[in-house]
Amino acid sequence: MIAVCAKSQGLDALVEERFGRAQYFVLFNEDNSEVAFIDNAAKHESGGAGGMAVRLLHDAQVDVVLVPELGPKAMDAIKAFEIKVYRYVDKKTVKETIEDYQNGLLKRLDDSTATSKSGLRRV
Amino acid sequence: MKKIAVLSGKGGTGKTTLATNLFITMGKGVLIDADVEEPNSHLFLKPNIQDTKVVKKKYPNVDQEKCNLCGACGDFCRYNAILPAKNKVLVFKELCHDCGGCQLVCQQNAITYKERAIGKISTGQLSNGLTMHYGDLTVGEVSGVPIIEQLHRMVEKEDWVWIDSPPGTSCTTVAALEGVDFALIVAEPTPFGLSDMKMVVELLEERNIDMAVVVNKAGLGDQELHDFCATKRIDVLAEIPFQKDYAAHYASGELLSVQFPEYKKIMEQILDRLLKKVGN
Ligand code: SF4
Ligand code: SF4
Repeated sequence: MIAVCAKSQGLDALVEERFGRAQYFVLFNEDNSEVAFIDNAAKHESGGAGGMAVRLLHDAQVDVVLVPELGPKAMDAIKAFEIKVYRYVDKKTVKETIEDYQNGLLKRLDDSTATSKSGLRRV
Repeated sequence: MKKIAVLSGKGGTGKTTLATNLFITMGKGVLIDADVEEPNSHLFLKPNIQDTKVVKKKYPNVDQEKCNLCGACGDFCRYNAILPAKNKVLVFKELCHDCGGCQLVCQQNAITYKERAIGKISTGQLSNGLTMHYGDLTVGEVSGVPIIEQLHRMVEKEDWVWIDSPPGTSCTTVAALEGVDFALIVAEPTPFGLSDMKMVVELLEERNIDMAVVVNKAGLGDQELHDFCATKRIDVLAEIPFQKDYAAHYASGELLSVQFPEYKKIMEQILDRLLKKVGN
């Protein structure tokens, strides 16, 4: 199951600029092309939204998530739940972003070179 | 015991100047600087530091051998500080509020607590013999509340306590107001100053704390501040005029009440009216 941070519900929604405080996660099942969405309950949290959002994704059996960015805590959580994470840069729709992922255009964030601190690194 | 908090809607309104000068002019009691993110009253009072205590905060430590990843601790924690994942439990120390709940709900007895330092409290004596304490939150830490709570505990036995509170209405301000009998709000008569101040007034009203206002840099702004105080029936205890001399003197880290007799008079006037309000 793929999850994408989205501003609204469905494949035509625009992707979000945030992970932990994203409005929704649109879910896409690659095996049968079914679409669903989760209302991100973590967005109202005063602290720790990232970790809580990861837990929601895990409960929804997500194994790949497409994000705009990821804080260090959320990254720790993503790794601990063994969810793969890829980063998008363009503000496209959920559908276009999933296609980019399928075409191998998105960069993986949780690979061996990405440490828990990489979310803080300045370039 | 009387606790008097000196507050302001935002930083830089002269809150520390007022708190330190009132303290010195009164010549009794103790001052605590609860503006732990940016304590600076010691820069004016210049205490001789005699003692520094490290302030610690607890966080859970999970014995992964005992843990069966049941998830109960994560379900309980309201602060997302503990997160049972696939093969281990993650702990986000900075988010933990030390409520003790996760240990309580863990059937496996897998949780114990560790401590870490989040800041310090320094205690010192002024040249006139008075004592002050100031808290200092380590840079990068999110909450100074435990430091402020400890400051309050340190002055439990004092007769009169001045509190230099954090500006604004954050949870550190709320912590600084614990047990406070009276609040002095320092306000500047500008539109921005007024809207920040209104939030402080609201906070004090919610907590049922009596208050009065001291207008700083009077003469710079308009009537709106006075109108607001009149409708809210908040007394204006004094107006400190804007003077270039004061600003220059402040920058040099000297106390205004020591240098300017007319400033000291204003402090005495405030103390006089304050004592009538809270009793001695
Ligand atoms: S409650 Fe105890 S046993 Fe359950 S996941 Fe948390 S630490 Fe592990
Ligand atoms: S002590 Fe309380 S706040 Fe801290 S992790 Fe446990 S449940 Fe959460």
